[in-house]
Amino acid sequence: MKQPGWQSLLSFSILFLACLAGFSSRLFAVIRFESIIHEFDPWFNYRSTHHLTTNGFYEFLNWFDERAWYPLGRIVGGTVYPGLMVTAGLIHYVLNLLHITVHIRDVCVFLAPVFSGLTAISTFLLTRELWNQGAGLLAACFIAIVPGYISRSVAGSFDNEGIAIFALQFTYYLWVKSVKTGSVFWTIGCCLSYFYMVSAWGGYVFIINLIPLHVFVLLLMQRYSRRVYIAYSTFYIVGLVLSMQIPFVGFQPIRTSEHMAAAGVFALLQAYAFLQYLKDRLTRQEFQTLFFLGVSLAAGMVFLTVIYLTYTGLYVRLLTCYAKIHIPIIASVSEHQPTTWVSFFFDLHILVCTFPAGLWFCIKNINDERVFVALYAISAVYFAGVMVRLMLTLTPVVCMLSAVAFSSVFEHYMGDDTKREKPPEKAEEGLGPNIKSIVTMLMLMLLMMFAVHCTWVTSNAYSSPSVVLASYNHDGTRNILDDFREAYYWLRQNTDEHARVMSWWDYGYQIAGMANRTTLVDNNTWNNSHIALVGKAMSSNESAAYQIMRSLDVDYVLIIFGGVIGYSGDDINKFLWMVRIAEGEHPKDIRESDYFTPQGEFRVDKAGSPTLLNCLMYKMSYYRFGEMQVRRGALTPPGFDRTRNAEIGNKDIKFKHLEEAFTSEHWLVRIYKVKKLDNREPLDHKLRSVVPKQKYTSKKVPLMLGGEFALQVWRDSFRFS
Amino acid sequence: LLKVTQMMEWASKRSVIRMNGDKFRRFVKAPPRNYSVLIMFTALQPQRQCGVCRQADEEFQVLANSWRYSSAFTNKVFFASVDFDEGSDVFQMLNMNSAPTFLHFPSKGKPRKSDTYELQVRGFAAEQLARWVADRTDVQIRIIRPPNYAGPLLLGFLLAAIGGLAYLRRHNLEFLFNKSVWAFSALCFVLIMTSGQMWNHIRGPPYAHKNPSTGQVSYIHGSSQAQFVAETHIVLLFNAAVTMGMVLLCEAATSDMDIGKRKIMCVAGIGLVMLFFSWLLSIFRAKYHGYPYR
Repeated sequence: MKQPGWQSLLSFSILFLACLAGFSSRLFAVIRFESIIHEFDPWFNYRSTHHLTTNGFYEFLNWFDERAWYPLGRIVGGTVYPGLMVTAGLIHYVLNLLHITVHIRDVCVFLAPVFSGLTAISTFLLTRELWNQGAGLLAACFIAIVPGYISRSVAGSFDNEGIAIFALQFTYYLWVKSVKTGSVFWTIGCCLSYFYMVSAWGGYVFIINLIPLHVFVLLLMQRYSRRVYIAYSTFYIVGLVLSMQIPFVGFQPIRTSEHMAAAGVFALLQAYAFLQYLKDRLTRQEFQTLFFLGVSLAAGMVFLTVIYLTYTGLYVRLLTCYAKIHIPIIASVSEHQPTTWVSFFFDLHILVCTFPAGLWFCIKNINDERVFVALYAISAVYFAGVMVRLMLTLTPVVCMLSAVAFSSVFEHYMGDDTKREKPPEKAEEGLGPNIKSIVTMLMLMLLMMFAVHCTWVTSNAYSSPSVVLASYNHDGTRNILDDFREAYYWLRQNTDEHARVMSWWDYGYQIAGMANRTTLVDNNTWNNSHIALVGKAMSSNESAAYQIMRSLDVDYVLIIFGGVIGYSGDDINKFLWMVRIAEGEHPKDIRESDYFTPQGEFRVDKAGSPTLLNCLMYKMSYYRFGEMQVRRGALTPPGFDRTRNAEIGNKDIKFKHLEEAFTSEHWLVRIYKVKKLDNREPLDHKLRSVVPKQKYTSKKVPLMLGGEFALQVWRDSFRFS
Repeated sequence: LLKVTQMMEWASKRSVIRMNGDKFRRFVKAPPRNYSVLIMFTALQPQRQCGVCRQADEEFQVLANSWRYSSAFTNKVFFASVDFDEGSDVFQMLNMNSAPTFLHFPSKGKPRKSDTYELQVRGFAAEQLARWVADRTDVQIRIIRPPNYAGPLLLGFLLAAIGGLAYLRRHNLEFLFNKSVWAFSALCFVLIMTSGQMWNHIRGPPYAHKNPSTGQVSYIHGSSQAQFVAETHIVLLFNAAVTMGMVLLCEAATSDMDIGKRKIMCVAGIGLVMLFFSWLLSIFRAKYHGYPYR
């Protein structure tokens, strides 16, 4: 006798535990270090949220940031997805209204773990619609701890994906519900959730292409029904109008190729429904079916050609396997690389092996919703294979399908046969309790290994704030390297409020967020020529660079140097990218080959190319480094670069236009002040000495008194000028 | 002046002029010369076994052809090649001992250091060669590669095959509705993608690696940043085995075959899952040093 009370209590407590597990496994970084915003992009989001909470919503929407991309500025209101900032701002506002005074930074840090709990709940709802309650609970537990999702939603990672995955799952749940019931209520809910997703992440394009694809495949499979028609028509119109409310999206949904599929399917659906309506009135049978199929295929061809014709956008580039050579900036970001199998296994462990089985079960027992999840799985797995960053969109569907697979196995192997509703007629029909319990135990062991793996991966790979570095000594004690924050705070407290800082674009957001100074280029990388200018300044010699810096009004230059501690993410290691990007815009002045030795090596020691040894980046990194004895062994010479494992070639560095302003404790961050132009340029040649010549008396012209002297002076001054 | 006419005549016959020692001395080394020559020194004979020379030769041909058919074609720049077996004296004269090498002989003055193309740094892609040529001679060559018809041809063939199949089976379209066929193809696609085939397609890794000193063949790459093609096939197999194991388990519990067969299926299923998953884990551990779990 099943008691529904027990069942719902069990479900509730399992979901609660899943949320708790998800929340706590994301807190490694907070416990080990402190509650701080990680990485680079979240600093910009934090700064925007801070602006929102201090100045109000409309100021935020209309914000023009003149402290970024000096002198161009950035229209933040129109180039950002506001969902994240508005969510954090709203939570902050509500909490403060209830007189729970929380600082906005803490709200931002803990937002992603809280939303991961909500994602678990929405995954549970979605899987319950697709399969059954047991699968739903398994899916919620999986997605709470799976590393693929944790990587982008750890506490401190205040980024769009943290809330976007929740919005994605919730939108999909509402869509499945609306297709199942065909009611306008659920569809409007789906549209509102879609609106939230559009405001949160650029990945909303995935939704607006997957849902039309689902409808299209349903049409092809002859599964057309009133419910599909109502659901999609309402969703398309209301969703389109709502998505255009976001300033960043604007009119894209009716212009770009990524949205054309939705429009095409909408038109097709109207045509199909109309023909269906006609068919009810007329009596032609087989001819009509063939006619439907023909029309669907023709429309499919049409929208495929539309996609090919408007051949633009990052998403279409994904469809054609990723062209990387033309824009070096996109190629240089490590997240845009294709995926090895190791990344799949690392992020998903056993789920990657078992989710094909779940897919098999879904397709074998097909219905309208399971078509959707099959399409979701196939498209997500393709995109995840092409770009590592999109592993995040694969993770929810992998969790759901593996949950389906595991749930099917457990359903058949757990529990006694006799207590089932339909006990088998003969006692020998069942497989026997021994085998069943062995199978159950082995499955549970697999799941336990999965949980342990997830925790290990989270703890080791995804919990570093990357603003604060930690190294561990031989005896296990921890050494914290807080150079970045030290340097940014020095900037904040010791420089003029309107000072402009030039650095490579990686650090732009952090400088703007922590040091509160105007930057030239930052992680938004929307203006390639501006970045190329900065790259040119870094790779030229000091005089040429000084001209560029004067034209850009730069007051301070900030670089990262890892030679003292062996930090490999410093600017010298990134230097070749600066050269490449600069060469792309100024091919006559910068040539990448100049920075290599004749044999084609990149060396910083004496054998390095002279252009490299005299460029601004080299000089700034190694200024005074030649006298520095790095503590490593008695035999290392002074000026030994630990990252490149070489003794530097140019030890006697002198600057003409820069002076050193600050170097952090472990020489990680070095800040240089750009000196103003001198009042007078010192002469390069020695002053000419005036040697008084013999007195020359002209016999012909009688000069006046003192005239001879005047003549002499006049003659000397003539020579002097 | 006569030299220019002669060079033009040769260039009109073949875009890359083949030279031996004599021709080289007369047309490239000897003044007066009001044209500049870009020469590829190569060794294309099969017994030289220079694979790079062949690939570079193809790219050089593309470059020379693009120049010849471009609108900016003048008689100021010529492309030539010298093979080691035809002009070994030239190699000796220029003190060259590696191939391929690209040199630029300007119309005025001696060739400088930057007139040697840095092959190791830039590679031999025709676009890179064109940039070097533009750098040395101020002549911009737009690379036009002959269109590759393989892709569209294959697509056309595929569509024709599908159309033909649909026509033949038009009365019996049952196979389209067979769920197993669809499930199987979806599964194949998914397994192919999760084993990293896209990475292989984009990066083009070798099949396996033969250690030159010990002669041992390793199918699994040592680090976690790269993979071999053999490795992806192994992983594909293992993933497929685990999936099949799970499916067998469920089939064993629900199908209505006789009990003995079902028990075997069940045992086989669970065995497949455990065995192949543990192998997968050990491959993973081989690549990810420091992974502590078996």
